Formats: sequence, C-alpha cells, structure tokens
Amino acid sequence: MIEAFKSGFYKTFIRDNRYKVFVQGFRNTVIITIAAAVIGILIGIVVSLIHSLAQSARNKKKKTPGAVILNVLDKICTAYVAVMRGTPLAIQLMIMTFIVMGGFPNKIIVCCIAFGVNSGAYVSEVIRGGIASVDIGQTEAGRSLGISELGTLRLIVLPQAIKNILPAMCNEGIAVLKETSICGLISVVDLTRAGDLIRSRTMSPYFTLISVAIIYFILVFGLSKAVGRLERRLAQSDRH
Amino acid sequence: MIDINGLCKDFGDLRVLKNIDLHIDKGERVVIIGPSGSGKSTLLRCMNLLETPTSGHVIFEGIDLTDAKTDLDTVRCKMGMVFQQFNLFPHKTILENMTLAPRYHKMMSDAEAKETAMRLLGRIGLADKANVYPSTLSGGQKQRVAIVRALAMGPDVMLFDEPTSALDPEMVGEVLALIRELADDGMTMAIVTHEMGFAREVGTRVLFMDDGVIAAENEPKAFFDHPENPRLRDFLSKVL
Repeated sequence: MIEAFKSGFYKTFIRDNRYKVFVQGFRNTVIITIAAAVIGILIGIVVSLIHSLAQSARNKKKKTPGAVILNVLDKICTAYVAVMRGTPLAIQLMIMTFIVMGGFPNKIIVCCIAFGVNSGAYVSEVIRGGIASVDIGQTEAGRSLGISELGTLRLIVLPQAIKNILPAMCNEGIAVLKETSICGLISVVDLTRAGDLIRSRTMSPYFTLISVAIIYFILVFGLSKAVGRLERRLAQSDRH
Repeated sequence: MIDINGLCKDFGDLRVLKNIDLHIDKGERVVIIGPSGSGKSTLLRCMNLLETPTSGHVIFEGIDLTDAKTDLDTVRCKMGMVFQQFNLFPHKTILENMTLAPRYHKMMSDAEAKETAMRLLGRIGLADKANVYPSTLSGGQKQRVAIVRALAMGPDVMLFDEPTSALDPEMVGEVLALIRELADDGMTMAIVTHEMGFAREVGTRVLFMDDGVIAAENEPKAFFDHPENPRLRDFLSKVL
C-alpha cells in the first residue's frame, strides 16, 4: 500500500520533473481565476449601475435623451446577461477563442476574458440583488435631502448593500475557480489539463486525478472558510 | 410658497390624485387628513417630487419642480421631509446621519456641520447619542433625530408623512411636541397625520382628502366643530 503510494507519487510528481507541469497548471488556474474575477466585477458593477439608473429613469417616466440612451444600454445589458447565463460556458470559451478573438496568440488572456465576461453577468445579478435588498425608504431619505441619484447610491445604498453583495461575490469567485477547469478545451494548461497530461504519460489515472481534485478542494475549501468568516463579521456589524 | 396646479397622479390605471389645486403660504401649517388610500401621502410626496406627477404643476418658491430642466436636488435642500418609517441611515452614527447631507452639499465646513448637528441634538436632548448607531435608539428618538436631520439643511418648509404612525403610543407625544415646537418657531409645514387632536391644535388649515380630491378644507375649529361635507362627518365620527 505504502509502496504503491510512493511509486504513484514518484511517477506523478518527481520523474522527469513532472511537478513543474502541475506548478505551471496551478499558476495558470490562479492567474485566470483572479483576472476573470476582476474583469467580472468591473463588468458587473457597470451593468448593475446601468440597470439601476435606467430603472429609476423609467419609474420617473423621463423622456430625456440621456434616459433613452440608458434604456437602450439597459436592454443590451439584459440581453448580455441572458446570453451568458443561457449558453454553456464551454461554448462561450470556444466562441471567444476561435471567433471573437480568433488568431489571438495568448490563449491565457483569451481565457481570462472569456471567463471574466461570463462571470460579469452573474456578478451584475448579485449586485442588483444586493441593491434591491436595501429598503427603498433609504433612497427616498437620501433624495429628499437633495442628494443626487448617484450620490445616494454611493453614500447610502451601496454601503448597506455590500453586506449582501460581498459574500455572494466571493461565492461567484469560487465558481469561477472551478469553471476554469475547462481551459484544456483550447489547449491552455491549467491545473486540470496538467493532471490530464501527466495521466496520459503515467497511465495511472487514479493518482493524478485524485491529486488534482485535492488541490482544487483545498483552494475552494480555504476560500469558502474565508467567505464564512467574512459573512459572520458583516453580520456582526449589523448589530452595532 | 407652494403652488400646486391641476395635479394628477396615476398608478397604472388608477388615478390617485384628481386635478388637485392647493396653495400653501409661508408660515402656514397645513394638516392633511383622510381615509387610507385617499391620496394624502401621494399628495405630500408630490410636493418634493418623490412621486412624479402624471400631469399638473408643483411650484415652490417660484420654481416649477415639474419642469424637466429644474435641478430637483437644489430645490429639495429647501424642503425637509420626515417619513413614517424614520429612514435614518443604519450604517451611519446619529451625528453622521445629521452631517451627511450638509457636507455632501458643501453647505458648511465639516466643523460647522458638526456644530449645527450637535446644537440640534442638544435641543432634542440627544447630544449624548451623537456617536451611537440608529439601531440603539427608540422609535421616538429615531423620529426626532430624523426631524432634526431635515432641519440641519435649513429648510423653508417641512413635509411630514405620517410622522407618528409607526410609533408605539407612548412615544407619539415626544415627536408631536417637537413638531409643535417647530410650529411655534413659525416653520411652514405640511403634515399628513391621523392624530386629530394634534391636527386641530397645530394646524392653521386642515384638508380632508377623499378619493383623490380635497373634499373639504377649513381652519381647524370650524373644520372639526362644524363639518359640512357628509363624507368628512362620516370620517370624523369614526376616528374621533
């Protein structure tokens, strides 16, 4: 048993410096996850902001050119969210690689953008839900004090919404991390692809795949724990 | 000071305000009563355009608020509003609640804003609560803070939307006492309330709203002692 483990470990990680493949894969997975999360958050903020402003313009039945533009942008954003959530990520990744960014040499950047654009749709929904969770009376109080729409959002609504947004956003980050495991589809060596490459060499699927799973699990478990602590701290600040 | 001409407000197919004309002079204290659903809160909320009228004009100090070119934020600085649900900002301390808008508008320096806030808090006997969060205050305290928060902006008129309806009975008195004080100082106000005794005592004019129109109006004594409108008589017989 111990012998089998030793030989498996040797074959998978040590022989021919195979651990380097894992390190490379791990590095790419982390890079893609972080970059995608950042892109996703930026897109999510913009989309939810457009939605929020367009909605309040609609409520006031504004017909100014600005309101019309906002409305069109909001429609585009709605379509974007629907498409991102309504099609498989693997297909989105391939469309990004072979059509939208066809011929772009750095496939890692393509991955960052594909996952980021996808994640942006989910993040925008998270932010939208967080804003909607804040009592409308807060907005009315802000507006009645002469604070502008954006000022009210920034000073009054968002600081309260963040409590609901942050944990959900972290969970979205965890989802992105796991989703990056399809990078191999376009021959980017991420953690999963690295394991797969080694598996095809060692002919022992057991050790490589379990190893990869364990590495993912440690990453995800660690992140989840961090999110849990964050949630508890935010809940505490609720009670003041 | 406030001129409302031909004001109509629809919610979907329902016409909540039907061609309202109302003129409020400086120094007047107009109390609006009526059954629920009669449109009294909507009328009040149209005065600072928290509700956008479907048609008609709201003119405040010569400025037409319903004109799309009017900068509502500037106008709202001169119109304080107090809500049924207080709407203090839960993520800000009492002092921050008070200074947020004056500082946002750069009406005064931070030190001046703080000084004004502390003076107002002292006036309502809550100076010792300056650095606590709203959740630690009683309902009556919250509403009194909400009132002085609006006063901190130096408004020319105060709009009260059922200021005591969400309070426990034993806290109604302290809030009414503060409003009475403002009345004695000569503040112009419009008050939607169910407190008939208070309406009679503080109001210079009482309006009875029923089914989206001002069905009766008079100075308080005649209004309550000799109601001519049969619906008003019926309403008063139920609430008095």
